[in-house]
Amino acid sequence: MARQKSLSTTTLPQNELAPRTLILDNGAHTIKAGFSSHLTSTPASTTACHVIPNCIARSTRDRRTYIGPDLTTCADFGDLAYRRPVEKGYVVNWEGEKAIWERSFLANNANNDGSELGCDPAETNLILTEAPNAPISLQRNADEMVFEEFGFGAYYRTIAPALNAYALSLFPSTPTSPSGVPLECMLLIDAGHSHTTITPLYHGRALHPAIRRLEIGGKTLTNRLKELISRTFDVHREDHLVEEIKEDVCYVSPSFTQDLERTWKGGRYDGREVDSSVVVDYVLPDYEHIKRGFYRPHDTDAMNLRNRALGIGTETGRREHVVTLGNERFTVPELLFTPSDIGMRQAGLCGTVLQSLDALPEGLRQAYLANIVVVGGTSLLPGFIERLESELRAAVDEDTVIRVARAEDPVKNVWVGGARLASDEVVLRSVMVTRQEWAENGEVWVRRRFAGKKGRGTHRVEAYLTLVGSSMCIIALHKASKAINTTPARIPPRLIPATELAFSRCQVQGSSYLAPGGPTHTPSPSRGTAASPVHCGSVSLFGGIALP
Amino acid sequence: MATGPLRFRTPHIEELPIAQSRQSAGFAWVAVSTAQDDPAKNWGTTNRKRARASLGGQTEQQKEALSARVQRETERKIKELNSDNSRDVVIDIARKPGQSTGGAFKAGKTTGTKKILASGKTFAHYLDDEEAEIARTGRRDGDADVPAAAQRASKTPLARRKPRADSSASHSPAPSVAPMAPPPIPRLQTTDSSAAPIPLDGFEDDDEEEDDKDRVPRMPTAAEMEALLNAPPLTYNQARSAPPPAGMPPPRLFCETCGYWGRVRCMKCGAMTCSVVCKDEHDQSRCLKMYA
Repeated sequence: MARQKSLSTTTLPQNELAPRTLILDNGAHTIKAGFSSHLTSTPASTTACHVIPNCIARSTRDRRTYIGPDLTTCADFGDLAYRRPVEKGYVVNWEGEKAIWERSFLANNANNDGSELGCDPAETNLILTEAPNAPISLQRNADEMVFEEFGFGAYYRTIAPALNAYALSLFPSTPTSPSGVPLECMLLIDAGHSHTTITPLYHGRALHPAIRRLEIGGKTLTNRLKELISRTFDVHREDHLVEEIKEDVCYVSPSFTQDLERTWKGGRYDGREVDSSVVVDYVLPDYEHIKRGFYRPHDTDAMNLRNRALGIGTETGRREHVVTLGNERFTVPELLFTPSDIGMRQAGLCGTVLQSLDALPEGLRQAYLANIVVVGGTSLLPGFIERLESELRAAVDEDTVIRVARAEDPVKNVWVGGARLASDEVVLRSVMVTRQEWAENGEVWVRRRFAGKKGRGTHRVEAYLTLVGSSMCIIALHKASKAINTTPARIPPRLIPATELAFSRCQVQGSSYLAPGGPTHTPSPSRGTAASPVHCGSVSLFGGIALP
Repeated sequence: MATGPLRFRTPHIEELPIAQSRQSAGFAWVAVSTAQDDPAKNWGTTNRKRARASLGGQTEQQKEALSARVQRETERKIKELNSDNSRDVVIDIARKPGQSTGGAFKAGKTTGTKKILASGKTFAHYLDDEEAEIARTGRRDGDADVPAAAQRASKTPLARRKPRADSSASHSPAPSVAPMAPPPIPRLQTTDSSAAPIPLDGFEDDDEEEDDKDRVPRMPTAAEMEALLNAPPLTYNQARSAPPPAGMPPPRLFCETCGYWGRVRCMKCGAMTCSVVCKDEHDQSRCLKMYA
């Protein structure tokens, strides 16, 4: 207790950012946590990102309770009951979440001394993600807990999809943006554990009226698979096992009807051969010799299966428990695309994307359809991207360009975006709320600020523009907007291709014009002459919707 | 024949009474028995069950009740599929061995966080709270402009008050909206261009746009974009994906036993099966309805 008190008194100097930023993508299934710093020049790599199970699990077998990261030490996942503090994507149970956070990365815990993630909250900035459309009371709880209970030095709460805009573009034609600059247009599909959300992002800011949520996520699929397998083999209490089965064998079928025919055993008088390329036998783990289950092509000989169950003919001579999976492999992920299969009255993923686009002005639709990025663990299902693309293709006009890409690491992509944001001091400073500001201005102000009412990710900078030949410009960020008192020395000059500037509207001494394309007025490099510094209203990349 | 409202899937058609048909005293519907030898057979004329059968299966009320029941059942199932935690298990957070064992478990440093930590609310509670608040006040806590109660009422006489712009020019970070908010995206900030559409592509010529308006949709103006960006977030329920449009094919039905197309409906419980084999298995072990 004494230690905690001393922590809360040793606050940072007034409104200064701490050197380290903890990026915390607090997912319903796993926490993605890691540090980044704005003092180093390069953003932290994904190796700094730790994936921690966000649950408290109780095993009836060894009568232990595993909190968060403890779960990696768990040897027997049988009969493991889970309690998740994050419900429907929002932190609801702070008691549980606090226990997990403390176990994972708060330094005043004896368990993680020397761990890479241990930190002193008072000397750390926190970027915390939440799911979109959160009830306000939950946001209030989160803010209060972060500042009052954990005592972080500075804090930024954002919706998780928005951070993806700061990650690198997945489309090769889009020029690489420096860290801290969000991509211009991005339709982000976050296929997570609780639900799938669709968020159009414009310069890293969500277009809130167009955010849609399909209430099918990874856990729905797991539970559905659990239900289906339980028709032949009771796995109702084996959440972990079913999740592994889902990860191993489930896939999104490119042609559902055909696959369904291939796995049908036929009627009584017109029996058919099932296609053994689809139907598989999944060998269940016993957590003694087989730690993780695996699958192999279906053995059509029932005798073999029976023998193997008795331990005859297996490699090790041990008994094998086998679950045969046929159409479960693709009917379960099919729910994402046709939720009506379980009677859910919601449009499928493609329909939900179109609903989201319908809420946008018509001129923007093409831009978003050409920049669809999919993140989230559920998007790891094989065939997900292809199916989404083909369904969208069928639903929109032929001359519309559709590009769908899955993030390189869909689970960590939010974190990567956050790390890139946090490595840019100007941006970081503009979004963070320090503890002092919280104390001075109160929760409503903080919430409004996070909601973007005060603007976030502002790149209102005065810049010196230097044309280097005709193809490249150096933009030396001179000064950030008045609210951000950053010394210019901290910000290195950036070299950016002139193509990015081509259509960006620059503001020169109050007048607006198109940079090289418009009225032929080349901004004169005028670093020395104080009379006409080029106020580049933005380092905006509006040309970024590069079509292939 | 059809006395109740006729029901189709779409569109909803209701039979409206054309003439007033009020039952007056001295008039009653009577079951008319046919000429039968056996009087016991006449008993059936007022049998509700037989009347129902003659009407073709079920009455409207029954159909409605059945569909409501099916719907409730489906909703329960979906809720179960979307549940986060394992069922019927209460997991307590184990105290760390080093922590003080005696005395009350100290959770929370301030009264506020104590309350949050001790709260046993689930997401449904929070959602209901918010919906109730919206229904009551018409707005959410956060998205209205500065709530009047949040700011201390000024005691300065009106005459001596400074204009608002001045007060925000000072360094006080009061949450006044307009002056404090730096424009979210700087390029949109240029005031003189706020009415002009954002130039998107090089080839997008102005004349062409005039000629062929439906092929090249108009880009939103900066003001429109600004409005879109500053729109308040939707509530949880508003953001939910809407049901597919009415023209879509009806929901697919699958065999309950094997997952193939469901082609036969069980007369007792309404479950679908694909073949005789699956129907047999369904009858033997799955059909939970013994009598129907």
